[in-house]
Amino acid sequence: MRWIHPLTSGEPVEVIGGKAHGLVVLGRLGLPVPPGFVIGTDACRAYLRDGHLPEGLVEELSAALSDLPATRVSVRSGASVSMPGMMTTVLDLDTDPIGPLLNAVTEVFASWHTPRAKTYRDLHGISHDLGTAVSVQTMVHGDRDHHSGTGVAFTRDPTTGDPVPYGDVLFGRRGDAVVSGREHPRPLHDLADREPEVWAGLTHAMARVEAHYRDACYLEFTYESGRLWLLQVRPGRFTGAAAVRVATDLADDGVIAREESLLRVTEKDLQQVRTARIALPADVVARGLGACPGVATGSIATTSEAAVRMAADGPVILVRPETSPLDLRGIAAATGIVTARGGPASHAAVVARAMGKPAVVGTAGLIVAAGSIRAGDRTLTEGAVITIDGTSGDVVAGEAAVTTSLAEAHVHRLLEWADTVSGDTSERSDPQRLSAAHAVLIQRGGQEQA
Amino acid sequence: MTSSDLLVLNTLRCMGFTTLTRLAEASGFGESDVQSELIDLAVAGLVTYEPGDFGGWGITPTGKTVHAARVAAELDDAGTRAAVTDALDRFLPLNTELLDLCEAWQMRGGTLNDHGDPAHDARVLTLLTDLDRRAETVVAALSQALPRFARYRVRLTEALTRARAGEREYVTDDMASYHVIWFQLHEDLLVTLGIPR
Repeated sequence: MRWIHPLTSGEPVEVIGGKAHGLVVLGRLGLPVPPGFVIGTDACRAYLRDGHLPEGLVEELSAALSDLPATRVSVRSGASVSMPGMMTTVLDLDTDPIGPLLNAVTEVFASWHTPRAKTYRDLHGISHDLGTAVSVQTMVHGDRDHHSGTGVAFTRDPTTGDPVPYGDVLFGRRGDAVVSGREHPRPLHDLADREPEVWAGLTHAMARVEAHYRDACYLEFTYESGRLWLLQVRPGRFTGAAAVRVATDLADDGVIAREESLLRVTEKDLQQVRTARIALPADVVARGLGACPGVATGSIATTSEAAVRMAADGPVILVRPETSPLDLRGIAAATGIVTARGGPASHAAVVARAMGKPAVVGTAGLIVAAGSIRAGDRTLTEGAVITIDGTSGDVVAGEAAVTTSLAEAHVHRLLEWADTVSGDTSERSDPQRLSAAHAVLIQRGGQEQA
Repeated sequence: MTSSDLLVLNTLRCMGFTTLTRLAEASGFGESDVQSELIDLAVAGLVTYEPGDFGGWGITPTGKTVHAARVAAELDDAGTRAAVTDALDRFLPLNTELLDLCEAWQMRGGTLNDHGDPAHDARVLTLLTDLDRRAETVVAALSQALPRFARYRVRLTEALTRARAGEREYVTDDMASYHVIWFQLHEDLLVTLGIPR
C-alpha cells in the first residue's frame, strides 16, 4: 500500500505521526491496542496540494477496513509534532458504507489549515508543510457496561514528580466524556478497587512504557467489559519541580546517566521550582487545570457581588461556572479564582493571569449553585475556607500548608552533579550552575559527534 | 441608530462595574454626556453607583432585564438578526485563536512570561496583528448590522497600536487592553443575540 500503513509499521514519526508512532510502540511492547491502521502524512499533503483525496486512497481504505474485526471505528489526527486539541477527532463512525469515513478523513486533513492551527504552528515554529496523519482504529466502548470506562494516566504525578500513578477515570463513559468536563472524574487509583484486573494491566503498561521511553509517560486508555485497551502514549513532558524530581529519580535508579538527567532539566524548570505549592497530603475536594501558578487561601464566594462584599473582611476565592466581564471586579476583589468550565486559554484564565491571581479552571464536575459549590459528594457553602493551587489545579478544603521547596533535596543533588560536570564550585545562582554544566555537556556531545 | 441612553446602558452591561472615565472612553461620548445619561438611568433603577475599592458605575438586576429586552427589540427593528448570528459564528473561531495568543503572551513553559525574550513577544504581536486584520471584516459586518459595534473597531485598534508601540500591558493586562475589549465584544454579541453563557 502506498498511503496506508499498519500499526506495526516501522515508518518514522514524520510519516505516520506521533500518535500512531506511540501506538506502534505500545504494540511492540506487547500492550493491547485496538486493531487499526494509519493514513500517512503524505496523503494529507497531497490532499492539501490538490484539494481532493489522492488517487488510490479510497481503494486502500476499503482493503484496510476489510481486515478490521468491526465496522465501527475512531478517526484521530496525529501530526509528527504535538499540536494538542488543534485538529479533528471523530469517534464511533460506521464504515459501511465508506462515505462517512471518507468525509471524516477529509475533515481531519482540512483541519490542518484552520487559522487556529496555523497560528499555533507559527507560535511554536512548526512548519506548515508537514500535514497530519490519520489513525483509524476499531472503536472500543468505555460506555459498554458496568465493567467499562475510560481515563488518562501519568506514570508519575505530573506536578510533583512523585513516583505514583496519577490521573482521572470515568466509569461507564467513553473518551470524549473526559475532555467534555461535564462529568466528575474519579482519581485514577479508584480503578484499583473497582477493576483490579484492569488496574493490574494498566500498572504493567506503565512500567513497560517508562522502561521504553526512560521517562515519565502519559497514557490514554479505555476498558470495555473488563478488557483494557491503550489509545495513546507519549513522554510526560513535565516542567518545574516535577521535571527535576523525575530526572534525578531516574538517574538514582540507573535508568539514565547523571549527565542526561542534567540535560533534561532547563533553567526555566529551576526558576519554576520555587513557585508556591500546596504541601500534600491535603483534603482535595476537586481538581481542575492550573491556569495561573501560585497558592491562594480564602472564603468561597459564588458571585462577584459576594466577592466584593466579603473581601472587606478577608481573602476570598471567587468560584464561578465561568466568567463574563461582569465578573471582572469580583476577580479583582478575590485572591484566587476557580471556574468549572474553560481551559488555560479562556477569558477567566487570561484575566486571572493579567491580575496575577492564582487560578484553577476547567474543574470537571464542579457545580456552582447560589451560595454553595458541589463536587462529587462534597458540598461547601459560601464562606467556607478553601485553598487552591494554580499549578496542580487542586482545590483543597480549609487552609492548606504551603511549600516553596517541593523538590528541594532533588534540586540540591542535581546541582551537585552539575558542579561536578562543570568543575566550578563558586557561588552562583542555581540556573547559572545548571547552564555551566549544560555548556560542558553540549560541547562534549559536539566533540563526540565530530 | 441606538439611542444614547441605550448605548451607555449597553456599554455598562458589557464592561461590568467601571469608572465614568472608562465608560466615556469605551462609549465614545464626553464624560458630562455619559454622566447625564447615568443619572437618568440611575433614577430609573437601571444602573447604580457603588463606593469602595471595587465599586463604580454598574448595571442593576433590573437594568439587565430591561437591557435584554431593549437590545432584542433593537435587533428586531434593524432586521439584522441573521447577519449578527453569522458574525458570531465567524467570531467564535477567532476567539479561540485570540485566547491561544493571550496564553502564549502570558505563559512560557509552565511559568509566567517574564518578557525576557523579545523575539517571542514580537512573534505573538505579529500574529495578533494578523488576527486583528481578520477580525476587522467581522466587526465591519457587525457594524453594518448594528452601527454601535463600530466602536469596537476604534478601541481594538487603539489597544493594538499601543501594544505594538511597546506598552505591553495593552495586550492582556490593562482594563483597556486588547483582550479586555475583545472579552466585552464577545459579551456584547451574546447579550445582543440573547444567548446565555
